[in-house]
Amino acid sequence: MNKSYYLRSLAFLFPFILSAFVSLNVFAQDGEALYKANCTACHAINDKLIGPALKDMHKRHSEDWLIKWIRNSQAMVKAGDPVAVKLFNEYNKVAMPANNFSDDEIKAVIAYVKAESEKPEAAPAAGGAPGAGPVSQEKAPVGWYLVIALSVLLLLSSVLGKVKATLEKTLRQKEGLPEPPPMTSWQKTLHWARNNKKLIAVLLVTFTLWGSVKGWYALQSIGISQGYTPDQPIAYSHQLHAGELQIQCVYCHSGAEKGKVAGIPSANVCMNCHKYVRQGPTTGKEEIAKIYAALDYDPSTGVYGPNPKPIQWVRVHNLPDLAYFNHAQHVTVGKIDCQTCHGPVQDSMTVAGQYSPLTMAWCIDCHRKTEVKMEGNAYYADYHKALVEKHGHDYKITVNTIGGLECSRCHY
Amino acid sequence: MSNRYWKGVEELSNDAEFVRLKNNEFFEPLPIDEVVSNKASESTLTPRRDFLKFLGFSVAAASLASCEAPVTKSIPYLIKPEEITPGIANWYASSYFDGYDYCSVLVKTREGRPIKIEGNSLSSVTKGGVNARVQASVLSLYDNHRLKGPSINGGQVSWEQIDKEVSEKLNAIVSLGGKIRILSSTVISPSTLKLISEFSAKYPNTKHVMYDAVSVAGIRQANQESFGQNVLPTYNFDKADVIVSIGADFLVNWISPLEHSKQYAQTRKLNNGKKNMSRHIQFESSLSVTGSNADQRLAVKPSHQAAVAANLYNAVASLAGAAPIQAPATELQKEIQAVAKELWQSKGKSLVVCGVNHSAVQNVINSINSLLGSYGNTIDLDNPCKLRQGSDADLATLREEMNKGEVSALLVYNCNPVYTLADGDKFMNQLQKMELSLSFSEREDETSRACKYSCPDHHSLESWADAEPRAGSFSLGQPTIAPLFSTRQMQDSLLKWTGSSQTYYDYLVSYWNSNILNKAGKSWNNVLQDGVLELAPNTAKQYSSNANLGAAASMLGSLTGSGFEIMVYEKTGMGSGVMANNPWLQELPDPISKITWDNYLAVSPKDAREKGWRQGNVVSVTAGSVKMDLPVVIQPGQAFGSASVALGYGRSAAGKVADKVGVNVYPLMNSRDGFIMNYISGVDIQKSPADDHEFAATQTHHTLMGRAIVKETTLQEWQKNPNSGNKQLTYKKKIGTHEELDVKPSELELWDRHEDRGDLSNHHWGMGIDLNSCIGCGSCVIACTAENNVPVVGKDEVRRSREMHWMRIDRYYSSDFDPKPGEEKDIKKMEDPSDMPKVVFQPMLCQHCNNAPCETVCPVIATSHSSEGLNQMTYNRCVGTRYCANNCPYKVRRFNWFQYSDNTQFDYNMNNDLGKMVLNPDVVVRSRGVMEKCSMCVQRIQEGKLEAKKAGRKIKDGEVNTACAQSCPTNAIVFGDFKNPDSEVKKLWKPEERSYHVLEELNVKPNVYYLTKVRNSGNGNQA
Repeated sequence: MNKSYYLRSLAFLFPFILSAFVSLNVFAQDGEALYKANCTACHAINDKLIGPALKDMHKRHSEDWLIKWIRNSQAMVKAGDPVAVKLFNEYNKVAMPANNFSDDEIKAVIAYVKAESEKPEAAPAAGGAPGAGPVSQEKAPVGWYLVIALSVLLLLSSVLGKVKATLEKTLRQKEGLPEPPPMTSWQKTLHWARNNKKLIAVLLVTFTLWGSVKGWYALQSIGISQGYTPDQPIAYSHQLHAGELQIQCVYCHSGAEKGKVAGIPSANVCMNCHKYVRQGPTTGKEEIAKIYAALDYDPSTGVYGPNPKPIQWVRVHNLPDLAYFNHAQHVTVGKIDCQTCHGPVQDSMTVAGQYSPLTMAWCIDCHRKTEVKMEGNAYYADYHKALVEKHGHDYKITVNTIGGLECSRCHY
Repeated sequence: MSNRYWKGVEELSNDAEFVRLKNNEFFEPLPIDEVVSNKASESTLTPRRDFLKFLGFSVAAASLASCEAPVTKSIPYLIKPEEITPGIANWYASSYFDGYDYCSVLVKTREGRPIKIEGNSLSSVTKGGVNARVQASVLSLYDNHRLKGPSINGGQVSWEQIDKEVSEKLNAIVSLGGKIRILSSTVISPSTLKLISEFSAKYPNTKHVMYDAVSVAGIRQANQESFGQNVLPTYNFDKADVIVSIGADFLVNWISPLEHSKQYAQTRKLNNGKKNMSRHIQFESSLSVTGSNADQRLAVKPSHQAAVAANLYNAVASLAGAAPIQAPATELQKEIQAVAKELWQSKGKSLVVCGVNHSAVQNVINSINSLLGSYGNTIDLDNPCKLRQGSDADLATLREEMNKGEVSALLVYNCNPVYTLADGDKFMNQLQKMELSLSFSEREDETSRACKYSCPDHHSLESWADAEPRAGSFSLGQPTIAPLFSTRQMQDSLLKWTGSSQTYYDYLVSYWNSNILNKAGKSWNNVLQDGVLELAPNTAKQYSSNANLGAAASMLGSLTGSGFEIMVYEKTGMGSGVMANNPWLQELPDPISKITWDNYLAVSPKDAREKGWRQGNVVSVTAGSVKMDLPVVIQPGQAFGSASVALGYGRSAAGKVADKVGVNVYPLMNSRDGFIMNYISGVDIQKSPADDHEFAATQTHHTLMGRAIVKETTLQEWQKNPNSGNKQLTYKKKIGTHEELDVKPSELELWDRHEDRGDLSNHHWGMGIDLNSCIGCGSCVIACTAENNVPVVGKDEVRRSREMHWMRIDRYYSSDFDPKPGEEKDIKKMEDPSDMPKVVFQPMLCQHCNNAPCETVCPVIATSHSSEGLNQMTYNRCVGTRYCANNCPYKVRRFNWFQYSDNTQFDYNMNNDLGKMVLNPDVVVRSRGVMEKCSMCVQRIQEGKLEAKKAGRKIKDGEVNTACAQSCPTNAIVFGDFKNPDSEVKKLWKPEERSYHVLEELNVKPNVYYLTKVRNSGNGNQA
């Protein structure tokens, strides 16, 4: 009976024990979630943002004080708590919003911060070594294998040649044939060529054909910079920002909807996010620090210095002066996706590159195929009506039908 | 009456040289040798093989160089100003005033650079008008000759040092009781005037003296004597039916020309059912722009203008029943009687103005206007004009003080006395001896060079400013670019020296808040956005003159001079010479003589014949103690026994563009009864042994071979028949074609009709030019230059007829000679009436023919037609055969002989980084070896279309405008869409009335049409 009683009571207690363990676990997770959802806009563990760095806050303040402070800091300031007033003044009198968290929830956050404080300062996730951006990563030197293979082959052929010569000599000595007159290497080559006329002809024709084709394409590509992917002063990744983080293209390239130039964002646009995001997943703090350096911004104090230096990006898309291109015409009026010309920027471009050839033939090709978005645009209303009247509803109104191939649309 | 027009006396007399030139647009052989060998002197021939080698090498070099694209940096803003979107222009309202021209303007900026100036239509003074000088001022901003910072005796110093020294000196002078004088041109900035008075309070013994290079002090003095008001009235040309001007070039130079030309044009338009126009009679000696537009022009020697005024008074007085005055005799008695009758018939709607700077003459004019009841109608004394406040008397007092050595300090602001005073050298010597001589000039000039201290002012586009051009009409000026150099606004300097810590901006805002904005109940930002603030005008009252006419009349006799006379005048481009270092203005052809880069002695054909002078002869002029050599131009319309010569040239310290161009004729100005007069009598002129002078004129090139390209009628004829003077070509005969027989030649076309060629189009752009409103001022030419990056080519290239202007204004003289068959070559007969011709201006630009002859002959299809009616020129396709130019009946195509940008040979604005900042980034800078021409501002068309598409609406009429049409101060040019039934350009197209195409017999179907010129020949009273 005793035994069964213990067993039963154990069985009865089991869920409680289990739940105790489980609830302890949930408690810590809650702290992290709450912290990330509510605190990170203004706080970081190790860095001073709008509010102070939270590392070791449990050492600086008592838990009771922290709970009161986190719940309603303004009440404490009004009540004249000296520590609270000092903190408030120190951080430019920016009030931390009040909230309705329970004591347990706040304790969970404190516990999370405590746990994080004890961890060593986080190293960048990958490629953390200084200067090791994705740009400068070197690939295995394929060329060297080729060189080694080639030299092995050369060695082999020369050994075999020697062997052949020795065998011939031996044969001649054995059969008592006279030594052939000595030949210079040039004479030897000619001799070989006379004996291999067909091979020479084939080689010659192949080489000429190959050369012509290569040369033709080389000439065709003069002035075309398709694939041009220059190194940039900051290892900015479109893949990360536009792809993973899903930031709209026009958030940064805001001119694209308004006018001629899409525009490279000014550094203050970067700072909209990077005032808080100080560390990236790939390059850590290093690349983001270049924005700060350009603006002469001190992230620890949040003060802009007097010596900003402009960022000298390398221009990727270089249209000649003789061609006029307007982004707004294509983006706002034509409703063409950025990717149509700029390629899958969000998927594959860690460094921006020129996706399209940007030749006139390429422009014209598109103008021949692309239909004009006339419906719903009052600018075209009468024109559209007239065109439909003349050609019928099924008529495809492409850009070239409304004069999109005329010289002065792009050249003036 | 059929008038015959010709373009210059060379054509009239059919010189052998002229005949040779007129048949060749490009009359000189290709300078390949010079280009290739660069050693023209060494050998004149490059062997063909060498040439091919050079050619081969350069082709190879060019293709090698193009393999590798250079790395282009793209540097965005660090912190982008909110209002700037790269690629989109910002417009700011501002004010332009340089002491001579006032204009309320809109400044177009791209990425923080001002690139174009246009008129502000909110201003009731300039009403959106803008002239050549104001527009060209944007180029002066980017002039390398501007002063880069403060200096003492030519050595660069810091502002702190100069402030310290100047303050010390000023205090020392005050403590010793020395006189301090501020000498300036007219200041119309109320806040600056207050600031100067505060400066005078801080440094007692300071007096502010205003003077104008070209003075109208006589009018102020006369108004003082006649009405007790020392003011310039506001003239209402728009209310006048009969306008008589005695030597006042009121359309382009006199007092407030933009205001006048807007008003004048209103009275000259015959559109929208308006059936009447004003009648304009001009008495003058030199053929001015205003005189060229007159319905009746009567040439008088400059000194006889006084006699004309007096006799006109007597004629009007006899009609009004008033007592006559003693008047000098005049040959024009009959004409004057007729004019008086016309004036009297339009009593209350007539206006007499006079350009003679003498109170006696102006008193007589005041009395005429008083008899005619002009005050309160066409002349407004209650809202006076504040321009040209200069006082000849104050200047004379200052000179007197300087002669006595009493002036210790002279601060020179916005004027150049060493250049513009007749005895500038004497002034300079006195200036150099002064304790404190200081110049605020923003650019080096003759005066700033003579001053010890130089405190350079900002350019007006870098400055805060306010202006009151007319009492109660205020305007603000704002900076549109950060200062390019270490300059400081003059007002800031004065504030500093008065010990104030305020900036001028703060001073300006507080002045406006307490003095102007409070009266209008408007906010600072509102006014800054509009550019203007206009208080309700006072009611114009009637006045009658109280002048002592007897005293005035007794002075008139002494004004009438004898012997040969020379008058000085201002050109529409150069004005008083403030902007002489501006290559756009130097290259703007004079509207009358069509000569660029020069001034000259214009003499009448009769005098030239009598004295044996020919065009280009150099003559020595002796007028009192003044001696100078001037080249002769034979100018039809110039009064016999007199000559005229333009001010503003002959600079010695204005910069690389202006120096040594022409002759300084300010020394010919002379003082009479305390007024600075613009003519001198009793001049001795002798032919100089010097070699003939070579002019760079655009007039004898591009002739239209005597064909009827200008159509003209009189108002009286036109009222009877709106189609008068505009006879359409009628072909009675029909001709056969291989397809269908019996087609009228006008219906026969060599080309497919463009509208049938492709699909329908959304627009069809076109332009109408009213020859009746065009005053020939040249504003459109500068607007086109600024908008389309037209290069300056210099005098030498203009002489080779290689000017690059995309539009020109043809000026045709007329005579009443009507050749009968067989008489065409009767040159003698044609010559006689040419001495006093009528003048017509015709703006000529690419006519955008629907059947364009140029397109047909281009071997590479570099010029083609758009579905919207434009004749397109694709520079990068052009290989430079120039077939198109040869086949263009209008001669409006221009060939790029050189790379004008980045070329040390063309040292104007395009070969330095600073000058390039004025270029319009939406228009390509053309390279050597291509044709170029008017594109109908296709960049503006495309921009307007895009804005409409983005907003999803139709284009409104007037929304898209070409630079020339936009800038025209008389709205003579109308641009629009023929497919828009409400457009002005569509409504004005009435071939059954005044509209016609030039050279319509060619059937090229231009998209530019003209409206016939109508002259008001009066009611038969005129002589």
